[in-house]
Order: sequence, then structure tokens, then C-alpha cells
Amino acid sequence: MPPVHRRAAAVKESKIRIDGFKFYYKKRMVLKEINGELEERAITTIIGPSGVGKTTLLMVLNRLYESIPDCRVKGRVEMKLNGRYVDIHKLPITVLRKRVGMVFQVPNPLPMSIYKNVAFPLKLSNVKDKIIIEERVKEALKDAFLWDEVKDRLNDSALELSGGQQQRLCIARAMIMRPEVLLLDEPTSSLDMEAALKITRLLVDLKKKCTLVVVSHYADLTRRISDHVLTLKDGYLHTNSKMMAAPEENNMTDDIE
Amino acid sequence: MNRFIQYSITFFAWISGIILIGAIGVLLIFLLFKGVSSLNSFLIFGETRPLDALLFRKDVLDGLFPAIIGTILLITASIVWAIPIGVASGIYLAEYCNLRWKPFFSFMLDLLAGIPSILVGLFGFTLSIFLHRHLSEHIYPCFLISSMALACLVLPYIIRTTEQALVNLPFSVKTTGLALGASRLQNILFILIPYNLSRIISGIILAIGRCAEDTAVIMLTGVVAMAGIPHSLLAKYEALPFYIFYISSDYNSQEELMKGFGACIILLAVCAVFFTLANILKRKAEIRFATRT
Repeated sequence: MPPVHRRAAAVKESKIRIDGFKFYYKKRMVLKEINGELEERAITTIIGPSGVGKTTLLMVLNRLYESIPDCRVKGRVEMKLNGRYVDIHKLPITVLRKRVGMVFQVPNPLPMSIYKNVAFPLKLSNVKDKIIIEERVKEALKDAFLWDEVKDRLNDSALELSGGQQQRLCIARAMIMRPEVLLLDEPTSSLDMEAALKITRLLVDLKKKCTLVVVSHYADLTRRISDHVLTLKDGYLHTNSKMMAAPEENNMTDDIE
Repeated sequence: MNRFIQYSITFFAWISGIILIGAIGVLLIFLLFKGVSSLNSFLIFGETRPLDALLFRKDVLDGLFPAIIGTILLITASIVWAIPIGVASGIYLAEYCNLRWKPFFSFMLDLLAGIPSILVGLFGFTLSIFLHRHLSEHIYPCFLISSMALACLVLPYIIRTTEQALVNLPFSVKTTGLALGASRLQNILFILIPYNLSRIISGIILAIGRCAEDTAVIMLTGVVAMAGIPHSLLAKYEALPFYIFYISSDYNSQEELMKGFGACIILLAVCAVFFTLANILKRKAEIRFATRT
């Protein structure tokens, strides 16, 4: 029996509202009925067994699913922009994707220099002013805790960075557009423990700037820093809110250090 | 039994490779053996002084120089027509084509790839007659018609390699740009094509080989035995494969036949130069856009 539509009581102010969303791939119904709210400037983690459609749900939020052939959707997804809730399907796709950044499971730097990688989204938006580009690259790399490690070798190929650094580079690249929402698809699962810890700490810091939606494994670290944990199971999103008090959260990051 | 099959397969694979490489080796040695004696400046430039010929100051009447230039121009022109159309069609098939229409286009493409070159030549010939009657009296079978017909012949190679390269890209690469807010066109220009450049160049290399060797198409669309270097797109021209075909079917003396072998070696050399250039470009593309495995 499908669970009743439950809104997480703990959500203070929602950034994204999903209402009766269904996703079909070919003839299979992958997401049966998704309802929920994602809190603004908080970390919401979506967990669930593999193959259940977690990544699909994430790709709904920036409409990347539209690149998958043979899929259909129903229902509403709204995002708060300038204080008003807007149906994301009514926004121009490039506008939406600049406001909703995404980081993939396996780091995917482009085969170019570190600098060009981070500046790439600006190139897509036709930003030509070199001074602005330079400032924004620096800001994004600082946001991603990567500036100190790469500031002397910005022109080196991004492929020479370690796995963890590459992932932080991808986060910097997503952050350069100053997105309001950042989607992360198991961002630490392909990394070793130390690199994963760095990313986790970074996420807690990024929360100040944007809303984070993380898809994660059960045993993943990110679960411990989440403000909300949602479980995706059998095509439904279950709320099992686990609010963490602020002091506890600080302890958590201390642990990591 | 199982082991026997395993060994036989390995053995068969080795033997096939050795036979293939052996055959190419024998062919090359045979050509060099036969043709090297006729390879001299007279074969290429005839009575004309090489410097005059190379600077296009005097026409070469009894050497292969016009045919060499004709072949080089023909390959270049055909490839220039075929690359934009082929790459664009490949992108269309991989990225934009409606799933319902794709099987139809794929089928037509296979059909185009399977058309014998003599039919493509005949089409070019008919086209030139049609244009002669209805557009301008000055249009006959010529360099332009030949190069366009050859481009049709090699289009499937370029379309297929481009399409396959794009289709086989991992989903994560295809969506990297899109997720960063790239429009579809930006994604194609900044990510998909650069990532696939080396594979697209492989298709172009195949096409170059085909353009260089094809005789049936050009025979019907404008190549002649004595025309000199083409001075306009609407002029007749000479080409090496046609010369080889014509000499080998119609030689008067052993000496003339030897000239044919010389022409074969020159044609191989022209191809080798084109392949080398294409491979250098390919290597550069690979280094610049090395994809991780």
C-alpha cells in the first residue's frame, strides 16, 4: 500500500516542492509517487537500495533526465526563485541548470586545464571579461576548499589531480555559477576515506550558500551531516526526518578533522 | 577438447594476421620491384623542367605531374564537401533524430554505403547532362561533378564513424556539459566533437583512401587521359587511378606498363602523405582530449 503523503514537519522553509511526481522509463514506472519538500540551505540526503531510482530523482531536479531517451514524467516540481515557487518545467533549461548545479558520482573533469575547467560554465554563459572570470574562478575554488592546493598550478591539466581533488574541482565548477541548489550523486563513493572526509566537511560549509541534495549510500558519511534523510524505496519517497542539532553537527566536523 | 578449440582459435588468429601482413608485404615488394626502375623525373615531368612544372610555369604534356596534382586536388575537394555534410549528418543521427525515424535513416545510409561506385558515377554523369541541358551549356562532366560524386561515395564512412562515436560516449560525458547549463549546440561544439575528434578523423582517413583509389566514379564524371592541371572547377582533369587503369588495359609496350607500376607507387605515396597528415591531426586531438579509461 502506498504511504500517505507526509510532509516533513521539520522543513522550515522549502526550496523545492515535489508534488505527485511520477517517472516512467520505457514501460516501467521507476518513481511511482514522489511527494516532498527540500529545505532551503540545508543538506537533504536521499538514501535507498541501488537501482531504486535515486539518481533519476536527482536528475529530475535539474531536468537532466530529458537526455534519457524513452522516458516520460508526470507531476509537478517547483522551485523557489526570488520568493516565488516556479514550475521547473516552465523555466528555460539552461537557466534552470545554471541555478541547479550537479556533481556526479565519478569525478568528470573535462580534459583541459584546472582553470579552464572551473571557468567552463562562464564560457557557456558568454562571460568574456577576464578579470571577472579570474575572480569567479578563485572564489569557486575557495568555496570548494581547493584554492590552496592548486593556486600555483592552475594551468596544469585537471586530469593530473587526485580523485578527491578532481571531485572538489567538479564542485568548484558547479559553484562558479553561484547556484541556489547543488545536487550531488554519491559524491564520495568513488573516493578513499580521507578524500571523502574532506568532501563531507566541504558540504557542511557549502550549506551556508546553497541548498544541498545528496544521494548517498546507507553507510555513507554524508548521512551523518544531513539535516534531513529521505528514503527512496519501491518508487515512493519516505520521510524519516532526522534533524541534527547544531552543536552535535559541530562535534561531527571536529571528529572528522 | 576444450583446450584443442582454444589452441585452434589462437592458431587461426595468428595465421590470419600473418597471411594478411604477408599479402600486403608481397604486394608492396612486387610493386617496388616492377615500378622502381621507371620511377624517375621523366616519368613525372616528361620533357618539362621540374622547376617550371612545380611552379606551374609550363604544362607537362608527357608526364604524370598533372595526374598527381589532379588526384591531390580531387581528394582534397571531395573531403572538403564530405566533412561538413558527413559530420553534421552524424551529429543529427546521434543527437537530434527522432527515434521513430532513426531506423529509416540508418537503412538509407546502409543503402548509400552499399551502392556500387559505378552507379554513383552514372548518377554524376546523368546529373552533369541534366545541368548541361537545363542550367548552362558550359557544364560537362568535370572536376566539380567528380568531386561531388566522390563525396557522396564516402559520406557513409564519415556519417557512421561520427554517429557511432557520439552514440558510444558514456552518459556521464554526454551530460557533463548539459548539467553545467550548456545548450544542446554548445554541448556538441564544446564537448561532444572535441571528445570524438580522433574517432571522426579515423572515418576521414577511410574516406581519403576511398577517394584516392576510386576509378569508376571519375571515369564517368570528367577524368580524361590528357587534360593537364584543371584550371577551374568546371574543367576536365587527370588522375592517377585512371591513368593506371588506362595503361594496364591498353599498353603498347613493356615500357608503358612499367610506367603504370611507377604510377601505382606514386599513388601509394600520395595516400601515405594524406594518411600521415590525418594521423598527425588525430594524434594531436588524442593528446589534447585524452579521455580516461
